[in-house]
Amino acid sequence: MSFQILLNVILAVTWMFLKNEFDGSTFIIGYVLGLCIMFVFRRFFKDRFYLNRVIAVFRLLLLFARELISSNISVLKIVLKPKLDMRPGIFAFETVLRKDWEITVLSNLITLTPGTLVVDISADNRILYIHAMDIADKADAVHSIKHTFEKAIMEVSK
Amino acid sequence: MTAIVEILSALFLLMGVFLFLVSAFGIIRLPDVYTRNHAASKSSTLGILFILIGTLLYFFHEHGHVDFRIVLAILFIFMTSPVAGHLINRSAYHSGVKMWDRSVQDDLKKGR
Amino acid sequence: MFDFVLKIALLGASVSMIGFLYRLIKGPSVPDRVIALDAMGINLIAIVALASIVMDTGAYLEAILLLGILSFIGTVAFAKFLEKGEIIEDDRNR
Repeated sequence: MSFQILLNVILAVTWMFLKNEFDGSTFIIGYVLGLCIMFVFRRFFKDRFYLNRVIAVFRLLLLFARELISSNISVLKIVLKPKLDMRPGIFAFETVLRKDWEITVLSNLITLTPGTLVVDISADNRILYIHAMDIADKADAVHSIKHTFEKAIMEVSK
Repeated sequence: MTAIVEILSALFLLMGVFLFLVSAFGIIRLPDVYTRNHAASKSSTLGILFILIGTLLYFFHEHGHVDFRIVLAILFIFMTSPVAGHLINRSAYHSGVKMWDRSVQDDLKKGR
Repeated sequence: MFDFVLKIALLGASVSMIGFLYRLIKGPSVPDRVIALDAMGINLIAIVALASIVMDTGAYLEAILLLGILSFIGTVAFAKFLEKGEIIEDDRNR
């Protein structure tokens, strides 16, 4: 229930962004339009969301930004190295997350981690196949995925 | 004050363009699709982030208000760029593009 | 000073565009070309942002949003086509 209210507010704010006008009437118009859109898509909703998740979401976003910058620095180093001596490869990573959106967020984060990129997911959503720029720091990557990302995502979903 | 904002904005623009150049260099230089995708999907994302932040700062100090269309663009590119990179990588693997001959490990082949 | 930085930035963006174009033309496989095309879309966004600073107008900022959406949808459609051979699957009654 509250999840749907929040989504509605987000739709209203998006409408305000698109109009680039920030007064009450624009918000109300956006709210009504968002209500129409959510009415059309109503059978895709399940009742979820509690308000204390918001903080965890923000922490996840912060993590996202930090990882993007650090991943860029490491890719930059490899690209600008005069000799191409990295050893790429695909390794399997078993995740403990089960819900679809959790796995989506996790693979987005992995794609933005230093030198790793998700290639495929096994049919039962248990194993992520990750292409690594340099297989030598595989243990490092697995450790950071397990202890930073999965924990932060579980914080949001619990 | 205006000088500081201008210098910051110029710095962001230059950093973004530098990342674009690195990304183009990587796309030309790296040996196979998968490693090229690393260069393209990461450096380009951070590059466009820096350039849009620089544009935001410039318009802020020129016109005096934050233009939220740029914020919207930043959010959208942040959400879609890793998805696009993953999709290209996956379609490349399934359509049978070979990995670089110095690749050492392929767990996905074992898994199916 | 700022104008000089702008010119340098536009030059750099154009040079990287040439790099992507090289990979787009030469790329040995189709996914290579799709990657180059995606990167070119993002590069085009950067060039539009720089141009809107040069002309000192906020009128092109909608074009940034539209280019972002179009390049993402183009990439997704290409990837799906490469993988499955069709873009819109007809699997409603499977």
